[in-house]
Amino acid sequence: MTGASARPGAGPDWRPAWLPEINLKRREEIAAWLFLTPFLIFFAVFIGRAMFAAVQMSFYDWHALRPSRPFVSFENYEELLRDDVFWFALKNTIVFTAMTVAGTTVVALAAALAVTQPVRQANFFRVLLYMPSLFSVGAVGLIWVWLLNSQFGVINYGLSFFGIRPVNWLGDPALVLPALSLTTIWWAFGFPMLIFIAGLQGIPEHLYEAARIDGANGRQLFFNITLPLLRPTILFVTVTGVIGHFQVYGQPFIMTNGGPGRSSYTVIFYFYHTAWASFRMGYGAAVAVALAVIMAVVTVVQFLVISRRVEY
Amino acid sequence: MKKLLTFVILLALLLPLAVTAQDAEPTPDVAMLGEGELNISYWNGLSGSDGVTMNEMLATFVVDNPDISVTSEIIPWNTLYAKLQAAFVAGNPPDLILMHASEVPQYASYGVVKDLGYLYESGGGWFPDEDVSAITYAGMQWEGTIYGIPLDNHGRGLWINIDHFEAAGLDPNMDQPTTFEGWVELFQQLTLDANGNNPTSDDFDVDNVVQWAYGVGNWPLADFLTLLIQHGGSMVSEDGSTITINSEAGIKALSQYHDLVYEYQVSPPAAGFDTWGAFAAGQLAVIPTGTWFRNFASTLDVNGQAWTTVQFGESPSTWFGIHTFLIPDSLEGDTLAAVERLLQWMSDSENQVYWAGSGQVPALLSAQAVLDPENYPSNIVMGQSFTDYGFLDFKSTVTQELYAALDPELDAVLNGLKSVEDALNDGAARMQAILDRAE
Repeated sequence: MTGASARPGAGPDWRPAWLPEINLKRREEIAAWLFLTPFLIFFAVFIGRAMFAAVQMSFYDWHALRPSRPFVSFENYEELLRDDVFWFALKNTIVFTAMTVAGTTVVALAAALAVTQPVRQANFFRVLLYMPSLFSVGAVGLIWVWLLNSQFGVINYGLSFFGIRPVNWLGDPALVLPALSLTTIWWAFGFPMLIFIAGLQGIPEHLYEAARIDGANGRQLFFNITLPLLRPTILFVTVTGVIGHFQVYGQPFIMTNGGPGRSSYTVIFYFYHTAWASFRMGYGAAVAVALAVIMAVVTVVQFLVISRRVEY
Repeated sequence: MKKLLTFVILLALLLPLAVTAQDAEPTPDVAMLGEGELNISYWNGLSGSDGVTMNEMLATFVVDNPDISVTSEIIPWNTLYAKLQAAFVAGNPPDLILMHASEVPQYASYGVVKDLGYLYESGGGWFPDEDVSAITYAGMQWEGTIYGIPLDNHGRGLWINIDHFEAAGLDPNMDQPTTFEGWVELFQQLTLDANGNNPTSDDFDVDNVVQWAYGVGNWPLADFLTLLIQHGGSMVSEDGSTITINSEAGIKALSQYHDLVYEYQVSPPAAGFDTWGAFAAGQLAVIPTGTWFRNFASTLDVNGQAWTTVQFGESPSTWFGIHTFLIPDSLEGDTLAAVERLLQWMSDSENQVYWAGSGQVPALLSAQAVLDPENYPSNIVMGQSFTDYGFLDFKSTVTQELYAALDPELDAVLNGLKSVEDALNDGAARMQAILDRAE
């Protein structure tokens, strides 16, 4: 039949004589590469090249506007090892990331569980809860600076009804990272909530039915079915969360400028100051490369620890 | 529980409203002024009310010069310097840049800005060398070459709440104290807790203060440098090779600032205290601020008056800076000629007086001399202090980097996180490393 033989793949007739015969597996591989090519080109030009340039730059005393850029070998990295501000910023970054990833995961999971209940207007609540994620970090930072303001803030005003004296949220070194983390959780839990909703919808309903028939209560359903089957989702949420929150910059920049003292310095905040305020691009690149290496190590460790118990 | 729930719900509802709340008439970030074919792209960091005045002046300029249009971009200072770096690297800088004189050495050392000596009368041009103070003139130069045209002098001073003074039985027109002890005594009378006690009373409740006398957190860096010089110290040794902030003078200067918070309890710790907001709300009697506060003060429901900066040391001194026009070295031809016309127009005495409406002190002495005391009291009071005993930033290619190393140390002291000695020693070590690297 003409129609059948004209369809690609339906018969040998469509292939020009010069094209060698390709088996199905090979054809799928070629198709996959073709689909990947646009991204790979984009990655190579805009990300891979930039990464290579950053690594290269980190071996030079590179000031953007200074004509001479002497090669300094590992001097920038040696300085980094001795730089107590970098290590302090790294400690702050780790603390912030741990608090924020834990908080975001818990809040996002709780929100996902709430909006997947059979309630009316569930979609409205999904949109409402996702809304903060649509704001820019600038808007979020400014809102929360005012909310947390120790003199005029709404939060302290609310607390005053309970006899609590004004809390210096952003001025107390013990509270500043938790305050920034709280801000970030409010801002960022929307996306992981969507991931958790998808994860929850993927859990077969018959497992719950069987467990209920066996007399399981809600708590047992959650800890013995929901949570174990969400492990791949939790792995994804925490890995992407760690990668994202390790690069925190906008919140300390807008809300505290790194203060009080250096209490809210983060690595990227320090990188910005080094590279863009002090014009030390070479040293800034070393800071960025070091952070990338640390993030890669943390991600691998996360995969090893969490994925051990994940069933896909 | 019900109260808490109501509060949480209200908070959640208010958040999106806060996002949509916008200033009705913000300063335009990008203003296209005029329709002339010759376009000048002009970047500045005048993000406060001074930006409004600048755009008003530019609008007048393009009316006077219909063949020229100006695209004025207002970018917050920190971002401006980062963007400039990228713009110069890309070979696409703006045609005209307004920056601080403290940045002149850095950009001049990179060779990216034009030698403007030819615009000065001494070089055959029109800018009157003799009509600016010697310190302003020096601020335009780096290694003997003139790179800038000064727009103004802007610097530190105080604003006082007259009603607070009068309520405390103090004359707002009194002679300002000239000793640390005198200022402390004044501040103690102006600090009140909720029960009306001041810090000299045994019943004073520091956790329940309704009116602070002073706010150390406004700009600790400029204030520390001011006090350092008042005590005979300096940030860097005379030969420019050694950081000296941890000298006896430095320790005394920072200790005094620290003691205002932790010994005399006349100022709150620096972080988390909004000095502008507190002054506006009548919770702060004396705000250390600057010339730029003028127009903001005029919008407040506060009976205010400008004073010169505090004197805690043996001799008066006060920090000031200069907004300075620079032209990229690559600019040539008709656009360069248009920029020169704009600079000449800005440097006209009459237009310099108009610029005083921004709160800043005109760079030209002839313009300063004709300022009307009725309309420009703060410009005159503070401007005179800059001329009499003002100092500029240390001149080097790494000044901003030095400040970036010192600033968090000062902040740590004023928030009780570090001792004065530790902070100054740590800061000095970091700054010395920067200075050594720059040599």
